[in-house]
Amino acid sequence: MLLSALQAGWLSSLLSRTGSTAWSLPALKTRDKGTISKTQQIITHLRKQKYNADYDLSATQGADTLAFVSLLEEKLLPVLIHTFWVDAKNYVEHTRKWYAETVPFPLNFFLPNCMHKRHVERLQLLWGDGYMEDEEKLEKELYRDARECLTLLSQRLGSQKFFFGDSPASLDALVFSRLAPLLKAKLPNGKLQQHLKSLQNLCNYCTSILSLYFPWDGGDPPAGAPRPVGAEGGEAEEEPHKRRNQLLSVVVGLAAMLAYAFLSGIVSIQRGSAGPAARQPIAMEEEEEEEEE
Amino acid sequence: MEVRMKGRPGEPGLARQQLCVCGEQLSAQASAAEPWPENAELYQQLKEEQILLSDNASSLAVQAFLQMCNLPIRVVCRANAEYMSPSGKVPFIHVGNQVVSELGPIVQFVKAKGHSLSDGLDEVQKAEMKAYMELVNNMLLTAELYLQWCDDVTVEEITHPRYGSPYPWPLNRILSYQKQWEVRRKMKAIGWAGKTLDQVLEDVDQCCQALSQRLGTQPYFFNKHPTELDALVFGHLFTILTTQLITDALSEKVKNYSNLTAFCRRIEQQYFEGQDKDGSAAVAARSAKRSLLR
Repeated sequence: MLLSALQAGWLSSLLSRTGSTAWSLPALKTRDKGTISKTQQIITHLRKQKYNADYDLSATQGADTLAFVSLLEEKLLPVLIHTFWVDAKNYVEHTRKWYAETVPFPLNFFLPNCMHKRHVERLQLLWGDGYMEDEEKLEKELYRDARECLTLLSQRLGSQKFFFGDSPASLDALVFSRLAPLLKAKLPNGKLQQHLKSLQNLCNYCTSILSLYFPWDGGDPPAGAPRPVGAEGGEAEEEPHKRRNQLLSVVVGLAAMLAYAFLSGIVSIQRGSAGPAARQPIAMEEEEEEEEE
Repeated sequence: MEVRMKGRPGEPGLARQQLCVCGEQLSAQASAAEPWPENAELYQQLKEEQILLSDNASSLAVQAFLQMCNLPIRVVCRANAEYMSPSGKVPFIHVGNQVVSELGPIVQFVKAKGHSLSDGLDEVQKAEMKAYMELVNNMLLTAELYLQWCDDVTVEEITHPRYGSPYPWPLNRILSYQKQWEVRRKMKAIGWAGKTLDQVLEDVDQCCQALSQRLGTQPYFFNKHPTELDALVFGHLFTILTTQLITDALSEKVKNYSNLTAFCRRIEQQYFEGQDKDGSAAVAARSAKRSLLR
């Protein structure tokens, strides 16, 4: 029981990173097998180690898990990717900023753009080319489906604590990992977010999992854990990066100015070697004379 | 059966009344309020020589759904059905002056006309029904697409000859390769491109196990009355069971679950047999069985 609860929390912490990145994260470092990446492989690995969140489920509940996972993957996940990565306003004002602040220095300039491109490409393949341009069609069909998916989850959850009663299972980890970023992110264009916030039981569900398994970045996120879920709300988290960025930009600016000055010959450094050294004093004198006049 | 009483074409008054209650979104589609016409048509590719496993399954699912709603439909086969469809996907139905493609939108459309199979379900059941439908789409449909476009032997032996069959030489190859490229790119996007055939079959098995578990000993997925989920599952499983491919691996996976095969037989008997005279879906189902046997 405790084990499964622990694992659900653990998994969701891992899953929460894949939710928005789909990069080679999450990665799990193990002693005997090295680093394992990809969510499914990690879960399989943990299962082999006898960490399984689904021990208590009946066969039918296992079937339901599979069905709801499919529902999430088909209806919600692509729209979530769209909300975070493709929607112009959200991407520029939230996601890109967020990643640029978290990713270390030289990478933060192009990594978010690379990921943006990858996601756009992926959605184009999934939906066909027409959807990305046709705002109305997108809103009408895909966002409607995603909202319906959220409503269905809310109905399925009802007033229960977790999807299968009082103890968490792998489905809870997955649902939480998809919903929590959406709930907590400060998105400028929050169409889907609004709908989630109107489903009270799903919001409570996310908050309770946050406080149960992620006490360090629950309701009031301190700067303790540098993970995406916490980083979204963590103002304290931004501070050191801001300083560093300010410093960096000043340094880069200065460097650029100096480089320009050197290259265009406004300033030149002349060493005290034999040739030019003889002429230098004369030039200096001329300048001084001009100034005096 | 209460659901079907509402849906009978002979009682348009009842259907209209119900529609008025449903509100404004329907008034936008004025024609939605019209009763189901006798000359509704369903379009799909040529049964004998062209249609592929996945399209046949989707088409059969729609036919089963309409049969369950007790709505008459005439199946029309066209070589260019794929290009006639508004979404580029088969099947689509032509009702009055409207054209709707794919099961999901068709269910919505039919519902707007006052026929629904899932009205009797409570909210949790509806959520579960939708989830299981996505499971079928996500696993069975994708596995069918994988098999017919990504398994090299099947592609060469079955898919290319059938897909390009209505067209003359250079065009048939070009169109098949174009489609193959498109499907393979899609597989890459959803992470199926790296899977082996065995892994795909394993997924199918997992999906069938879940469906079998859910069905248990009930006649339909939600006990006594069929829903669109039953239509969808029937469409896919029946097609898989009755289609002869290079190997029997896919149908063997389904055959392991006796309640699923019994379920398919039951729906076939109830909705597709004894309706041969109007030449509709029963023939389609049986000819699918015959034609795809190679």
